This record gives sequence, structure tokens and C-alpha cells, in this order.
Amino acid sequence: MRADGLLAMLDRWGRYALPGTTLLFFVLLTLAPLRAPYLSGALPLLPALVVFQFSLATPERLPGPLLLVMGILLDLLLGGPGAPVGVSALGFVLIRAAVVNNRRYLVGVPFLFQWFGFCLLALGFVVLVWFFTAFWTWTAIDPLPALMQYAVVIVIYPLLAPLLARVRARDPLNVPDASRGTARPGETTS
Amino acid sequence: MAIRDDFEIVASQVRTAVQRFALGLLVIAAFGAMLVGKADTILVEHARVVALDLASPVLEAIARPVAAANRIIADLKEFASLREDNARLREENVRLLAWQTAARRLENENERMRGLANFREGPEASFITARIVGDSVSAYVRGALLNVGRKAGVASGQAVVTGEGLAGRIAEVGENSARVLFVTDVNSRLPVLIERTRERAILAGDNSPQLRLSLLQSVAGVQRGDRIVTSGHGGSFPVGIPVGEVVDTGEGSSVRVRPFADFSRLEFVRVVDYGVSGLVGGNSATTPSAPPAGVRIR
Repeated sequence: MRADGLLAMLDRWGRYALPGTTLLFFVLLTLAPLRAPYLSGALPLLPALVVFQFSLATPERLPGPLLLVMGILLDLLLGGPGAPVGVSALGFVLIRAAVVNNRRYLVGVPFLFQWFGFCLLALGFVVLVWFFTAFWTWTAIDPLPALMQYAVVIVIYPLLAPLLARVRARDPLNVPDASRGTARPGETTS
Repeated sequence: MAIRDDFEIVASQVRTAVQRFALGLLVIAAFGAMLVGKADTILVEHARVVALDLASPVLEAIARPVAAANRIIADLKEFASLREDNARLREENVRLLAWQTAARRLENENERMRGLANFREGPEASFITARIVGDSVSAYVRGALLNVGRKAGVASGQAVVTGEGLAGRIAEVGENSARVLFVTDVNSRLPVLIERTRERAILAGDNSPQLRLSLLQSVAGVQRGDRIVTSGHGGSFPVGIPVGEVVDTGEGSSVRVRPFADFSRLEFVRVVDYGVSGLVGGNSATTPSAPPAGVRIR
């Protein structure tokens, strides 16, 4: 064992735990009593942003079962009586799957493309949650607040995404799968 | 070389197959969770309570600095309008002093009348003061999390009030946490009285900042500016907590009510322990049960 064995191990564990911990933090932050107008309304969508952002580079560190647990936790913490528990989990899993299957359009491309991708997926997420909540409680829920949330989180994305990207930028494993053979000029392969 | 390529192709196919299968399983699991939540609401309520109890210490740690920051911002805002506020308050003070005199006189009179009529008062309410440690405000829910729970005597269905008026009712209780459902939530239905006419009605939330007054016997009697107070029907709420005032009588049947409580600036609230919580419907001749040990203020 090398002299820096312990540090290297901690480093590796830290790297592996980082996406999950960040996601957990944002799930808890959803409930924080921030009284900033608009911003506090958009907090429930930030976990979806984290899922999207980390799925771009290191989806293997946000495994599906973890997303399931986090989504259910979010629903339990946030949900009112009668709201479906697990709809966020479904949304997270689908976001991850969509990102992983469309890596060629989302990884190593200009930021605007990523933003556009996030706009599409977040819209899908909002519509999914709205539909299931309305369907589950069988009430016509005004979609306007949900769309307002969506608009705010879209605006927040350029502020938050670089921060999260910086967290993983120094990651040596932040390279596309060699086996996929989809690396393009500008990307590095190991 | 060709063999290796073939192997890689097969391997990637297997991998994508596994991935696809995994996705299907995860989706099924998510649906399963939703179905279980629909079928077994008690289990879900229990899970919610456990999650709340686990999260509430973390939230409390987050809530304090956030509250401090909010307060600084509010202070700065108030600083700008200090002079006008002062003048307005002085004027209001004069007006309220006159009211106080009237109220004292009425209170005395009331007491004497009650003595004459041998009127038995309802159980006396006590208050549990709580800090709001979390907002559960989203596009679908209007509520908050409190840092008190069953240990402090909080029970499901109790009224939650602010200085201005009713905020909501307790929806879920954990050991050291509780969730408030605000009156503005779409699931909130509140039996109320119109103070001026003593007419009964139901006040319903619809997730918008204003409330909707429904099940009125006659809409015509409602005027703009009428105060809405709790009627105490259902038993767990004291009578006469102010809830809001009518701002729009509207055409047709929609009467809009603005709640007195300012939900954007809540920090501390009081849970009203009325001693008869849990009594919903049934006979109205209440025998005041022994109130649980709470932090008594009154």
C-alpha cells in the first residue's frame, strides 16, 4: 500500500459520494424556508437539475436505485396529503435515462445545447409531475404555478450548472465511455 | 482484430440490454411506490412522519441562518419607510385606544350577562409556540414544517395561528416535527362564520394567495370588507379566530377572501391546543378532556 493510500481512498470515496450527497442536499434545501420570491417556488425543481447535470458526466455515480430513493424522499418530504409518492423518482430515473441515451448530443457540446437539453427534459419532468398529481388527486390543478417554477429553474440553470460542472471538472474519469466509440474531436479518451 | 470488434459489439449490446432492463425495473418500482401510496395511505403517512423527523434537525440548522438573513433584508426594507410607518402607527394607536375602551366595556358587560345566563364556556385553549423550520410550498402544496411534535402536545387537526389570524391546521405529527397545511392549500376546507351576519360557510383554498368562500346560503349578504372567522364547527378549532376579509364579492358564486396571515413572512407560529382535538363531528356537547402537557402561555 502506498503512503497516500488513505488519502487516495478518501479521495475516491469523496468522488463517488459527491453526486449523491449534492442531490441529498438539494432535496433537503427544497424545504428550506427561503423567502425570496420566485426562487423559493423553484426550489422543488433543483434536484431535477442536479440529476441532469451529474448524469451528463458521471451517471454511474447516480445509480438508478439511489435516484429512486431520493425521489421518494423528496415526495415524502414535500408532498401534501394525497399527492403521489414516487412521481419524482420516476422523473429522476427518466431524466437520467434520457441523458445517458443522448450523451452524443449533450456531452462535449456548447453550453447552449446543454441548456436546451435541460429545457426539454425539465419541461418533461414538470408535465409528468403535474399530470400525475392532477390524475392522482383527481382535481384540475392550475398549471400556471408549475410553469412559473419551470421558467425560474430554466433561468437558474446557467447560474448553477457551471458551479456543479466545476465540481466534477477535475475528475479524471470525466470522459465518455471508450466502448461506445462516440468520442468526437475535442474530447479525450483514456 | 475482427474478433475483438465483434466481442465489443456484443458486449455493448449486452450492456445496453441490461441498461434498458434496469430502466424498466426502475420505472416499475416508481409506479409500484405510487400504487402502494395510493392503496395504503396509512403506511405513506407513517413514512412521511419518519422522513420529517429525520429531516427536521437538518432543516432547523438550515432554517436559523436563513431566517437571520430574511430578517436583515426585512429590516433594511422597513428602515426605508420608518418615518411613514411611525406616523401611520401613531394614528392607528389613537384609533385602537378608543377600541380598547369599547372592548373593556363590552367584556365586562359580557361577563355579567354570562353570569346571569349561567353560560358554560368551552375548554380554555393553550398555545404551543413553534418555529417554522421548513416550507413545503411547491406548485401543488401550501404548507410548512414546525419544530414541535407529539412530545410537545401537538396533535393532528389543531389550529395554527399567527399574530394576525389563522394560518392553517396540523396535518401530520412526528415525535419532534409537524406539518402545517395552510388555509390556502387546495386540500384545505374550513368551517367559518361571516362575522357581521353570523352566516355559516365553508372556506376553501385553491393554492392561490386568496381563498374561496363556498356553500353560502345567500351570496347577496356578503359585502366587501366582511371579516371571516372560524365557526368552531368540527370541534378542534376554537370559535372566532380571524381568518381573513372579503375582497371580492364577484358575480355569480365566487366570493374571494384575503387571509390575514402573511404566509411569505412566517417565522414563528402558535399551535392552539384546544383540549378537544380529534373530535370531528359527533356530538357537540363536549366534555373537556385533560389537555396534554404543552408549553402553556395563557
